[in-house]
Amino acid sequence: MNTKIRRIKKSGFSKTFIISIAVILNITFSLLMGYWSYSWLPIQASEAAHYVDNLFAFETTIGTFIFLGCSGTMAWILVFNRAPKYDESNGEPLEGNLKLEIIWTLVPLLLVLGISTYSTSVNYKLENLGSKIKYDYGSEVPFVEEKKVFDYGPIDVISRQWNWEFIYPNGIHSSELHLPVDKKSNFRLITEDVIHSFYVPAFRLKQDIIPGSVITYSLTPTKEGVFRLRDAMFSGAYFSENQTNVIVESEEIFYKWIKETVKKELQNGLNPAGNLYQKRLRNGNRGWATVKPAPDPKVNDAGIESRPHDS
Amino acid sequence: MLTENQNLTLNHKPGHIKHDGHNMTGFIIFLCSESIIFFAFFVGYSVLKISSPVWYPEGINGIDVKMPLINTVILVSSSFVIYFAEKYLHKKNLWGFRIIWFITMLMGSYFVYGQYVEWSELSFSLQSGAFGGMFYLLTGFHGLHVITGILLMGLMLLRSFLPDNYKGGEMGVESVSLFWHFVDVIWILLFGLIYLWQ
Amino acid sequence: MTIVNYDPRLVKSKNPYPKGPNDWKRFFSFNTDAKVIGIQYIVTALFFLLIGGLLAMLIRGELITPPSDLFDPTVYNGLYTMHGTIMLFLFLFPILSGLTNLLVPPMIGAPDMAFPKLNALAFWLVPVFSIILLLSFFVPGGPASSGWWSYPPISIQNPLGQIINGEMLWIIAISLSGISSIIGAVNFVTTIIRMRAPGMGFFKMPIFIWTVLAAQLLQLLGLPALTGGAIMLFFDLTFGTSFFRIEGGGDPVLFQHFFWFYSHPAVYVMVLPVFGIFSELFPVYSRKPLFGYKFVAVASFGITILSLVVWVHHMFYTGTPMWMRNLFMFTTMLIAVPTGVKVFAWIATLWGGNIRLTTPMLFCLGGLFNFIFGGITGVMLATVPVDIHVGNTYFVVAHFHYIIFNTIAFGIFAAIYHWFPKFTGKMFYEGLGKVHFALTFIGATLNWLPLHWAGLLGMPRRVASYDPEFAIWNVLASIGAFILGVASIPFILNMVSSWVRGKAAPPNPWKAIGLEWLLPSPPPHENFEEDIPTVLNEPYCYGLDKPFVEDEQFYIEKSLKEH
Ligand code: HEM
Ligand SMILES: [Cu+2]
Repeated sequence: MNTKIRRIKKSGFSKTFIISIAVILNITFSLLMGYWSYSWLPIQASEAAHYVDNLFAFETTIGTFIFLGCSGTMAWILVFNRAPKYDESNGEPLEGNLKLEIIWTLVPLLLVLGISTYSTSVNYKLENLGSKIKYDYGSEVPFVEEKKVFDYGPIDVISRQWNWEFIYPNGIHSSELHLPVDKKSNFRLITEDVIHSFYVPAFRLKQDIIPGSVITYSLTPTKEGVFRLRDAMFSGAYFSENQTNVIVESEEIFYKWIKETVKKELQNGLNPAGNLYQKRLRNGNRGWATVKPAPDPKVNDAGIESRPHDS
Repeated sequence: MLTENQNLTLNHKPGHIKHDGHNMTGFIIFLCSESIIFFAFFVGYSVLKISSPVWYPEGINGIDVKMPLINTVILVSSSFVIYFAEKYLHKKNLWGFRIIWFITMLMGSYFVYGQYVEWSELSFSLQSGAFGGMFYLLTGFHGLHVITGILLMGLMLLRSFLPDNYKGGEMGVESVSLFWHFVDVIWILLFGLIYLWQ
Repeated sequence: MTIVNYDPRLVKSKNPYPKGPNDWKRFFSFNTDAKVIGIQYIVTALFFLLIGGLLAMLIRGELITPPSDLFDPTVYNGLYTMHGTIMLFLFLFPILSGLTNLLVPPMIGAPDMAFPKLNALAFWLVPVFSIILLLSFFVPGGPASSGWWSYPPISIQNPLGQIINGEMLWIIAISLSGISSIIGAVNFVTTIIRMRAPGMGFFKMPIFIWTVLAAQLLQLLGLPALTGGAIMLFFDLTFGTSFFRIEGGGDPVLFQHFFWFYSHPAVYVMVLPVFGIFSELFPVYSRKPLFGYKFVAVASFGITILSLVVWVHHMFYTGTPMWMRNLFMFTTMLIAVPTGVKVFAWIATLWGGNIRLTTPMLFCLGGLFNFIFGGITGVMLATVPVDIHVGNTYFVVAHFHYIIFNTIAFGIFAAIYHWFPKFTGKMFYEGLGKVHFALTFIGATLNWLPLHWAGLLGMPRRVASYDPEFAIWNVLASIGAFILGVASIPFILNMVSSWVRGKAAPPNPWKAIGLEWLLPSPPPHENFEEDIPTVLNEPYCYGLDKPFVEDEQFYIEKSLKEH
């Protein structure tokens, strides 16, 4: 049997030594992973982003520590506790250890208590979600007063199968979402058919849009640039085309855009799904059934479909 | 290395496990599970009632309670009647059992009939919004259970004429009676939910 | 306890069981023997694993390039919906029912299930609803294509307006599957409660039995809610009611509650038996008692109870109020505690053992390794702010495949290999088994590890096309998927050829403790028949001086003689 190993493990000094080295290595690597984890995420472009990323890095660090701790122990066992080929004898007959068992019940308990307290506090800081009001579907979308303070808005976000349309307080319609940087903008999220989800990865924010309800929502972009807005709730045939751009601009440029766009005539906005559907019809309408895409939205600013995006 | 060893001294008695006779256990487990469906429907009803911007279909402000109330009284009392039927069976009074059992069936049938009359007099349908759907779903699903109960009772009644039917115990009758109590309790909840909470 | 070495001459003995594999016809009949039903379930399920896998290859073929160029997006949606449905309802649930059928009666010493006829009925519903589901490929408009969640309103849009449509067949199939599962659950629970061997108190049951009980109770408590939701969805789709339709005051989010009230616990219905399998196998292959038997046993019920109160973590961004999100975040994270108890207990079981790296042990170790990973991403997903970013992205897809394939399917493979000799009476080929493990582990890791990054960067799930910046992760994933496809070849070869012409298996090839190992391989029709052992201790006392049953020696010799 592997008596040599057993002997090393028995000697108190080397055992503590090996364990401390392993723990130090593990902590170092876990911290590194936490540090690297920021680079796995898109650009931080809203006030929510750094909270989310910190939380994620925190969890990555702890997670790495636990994962490496467990799998390192498993690796150690696999290397040193393998039975020789014809050895069918039993291992040390340990039945349990109450102290250990209590420790590994309590420590995770405290850990998840800690994590959930931390993230609850983040939740209260962010509070993007306003209210969700149900309305009688046949009637007009009601006006919902937002109780929270905001700097700009409300912008109506209209989602459809499958295009987006944004209506600004002064009545202009746009296919892309223009927002002023560092200002808290407020939205009324509305869908005309099925459930969609307003998701901007660079903002780290996502909110489902529920038929029959108006949802108010606020967020503060913190970085200028072009970011993808993706529908994140499966919404049927051309779901993956249901994307547009969020353009975050300085206040000046934003208001300039507003002023210039008012003057523009209504025209056909972005509707990649509609185009694909037309192509499908031209090719003989093959494929499985789908509802017809909504017609092109009529907007003042038609947007640019292939606009390069930062994230 | 051991292959055969006649000299082994044994100190165990061969253990035995009953093959059958587990019906009641199984049935109770099933009923617990079945009650969750009703529970789900009840929760659905309550959620929709509380949150729907429109609830009763146009032209309706509520539903009539009188007739269903009579129905309720009949169904609830049938739960007591069936108890006496069972008692007769325990006392081996077969005809007593059959007659009372049959009365329970009649009461159940009256309930179904009453439900039918109520349905045919209503001015809204399954498609009349969330309330219409919920109303027919709940009463219909429960009604199906009542009908099932009556059919099962009929089966038990017929089987009571078989010789030796109760040799293996009265599990069948007991299960059906349990089912009937279950249907009853569900109705009370349902009645409270639909008719009393308006 | 004493472990008896088997006589190698016995290993070569004639086919031990006159109704052995030669009598293949019984597998195609309404047989009420739990062991036949178990094998029927397993083989049917593995067949559907192949079909579901084929669909997965098609999905990954589409996703290997950013644009949607292989299929029309409608076809992609149908394929992924059917992939998920088949894998869950036609592969995982049936195969677990199969293992449960095979293992529960012998492990507790029962001759059969409590309700053998219902048992057979539950199985024969599987081919029925499978055929209904597969037929939906051929109805006008194609199969259901709103994901296995089938959220309204998308699922009740019914573009062609026909009464018989893919979605309708889907709901019928799922409901039949639910009925089959309920029948199964009633049967399993009754059997476990009422038919244990003398002396087998609850704290002497094998952990697998504990986990099956915990899982089947979840089925009983959760599944009816989904059935209720499915009935209402069916009415909305077919009869124009408005339970979930906003036009008549219904609420689409209500369906999500019904759905997840069951479908979150469903994950535990699937994973709990796998925890049982881990707890059975680690002691055998490390020759040590299970560490902290009682903690591991009770933790199963901790998981059952908690998993009934966490479902809203699938709905953190549907407009759920803040307090509810915080509450459900906390309950979800609490599940990490009983789960952690199990994980640490397994590692402590391995510690200082005499590890034998057989194929089943490799799958168990791989499964445990992956499970720790998937568990950690699970806690991340429970964290509301993180979930709001990664929810409904490929991070979720990666996470649940780490659980559902890299843990659950691994555990199932381990179980198949471990108990293969017992129920077929034949040994499998270790070499092929190890090849199967290596390919599966590499393929699965390559398939799902990279997808975490795609999700973190914001690639939504269920997309047929995506922005080019996600291409690298998807190429890796597709290569992994194709490796997984290849991995099925050694597995099938191994199973078929071992069963047909493998070496005869002794009663206890792994020298394991457990009632099933006191039976000949394969066990006779009624297991112990009229001489059921009296259990003295839980079946994990390796190296301890605690006999497992009274007169153990007698039963060992009996099994060898009948062999
Ligand atoms: C070769 C193996 C597999 C591959 C390559 C694979 C790949 C995929 C992919 C690409 C998706 C689509 C995700 C999306 O678009 O949102 C998916 C979804 C899914 N898979 Fe797998 N998968 C495999 C095995 C399994 C297994 C064994 C199971 C389980 C039992 C499973 C269960 C599911 C489920 C439940 C979904 C969700 C379907 C949905 O989003 O509606 N998969 N899989
Ligand atoms: Cu869940």
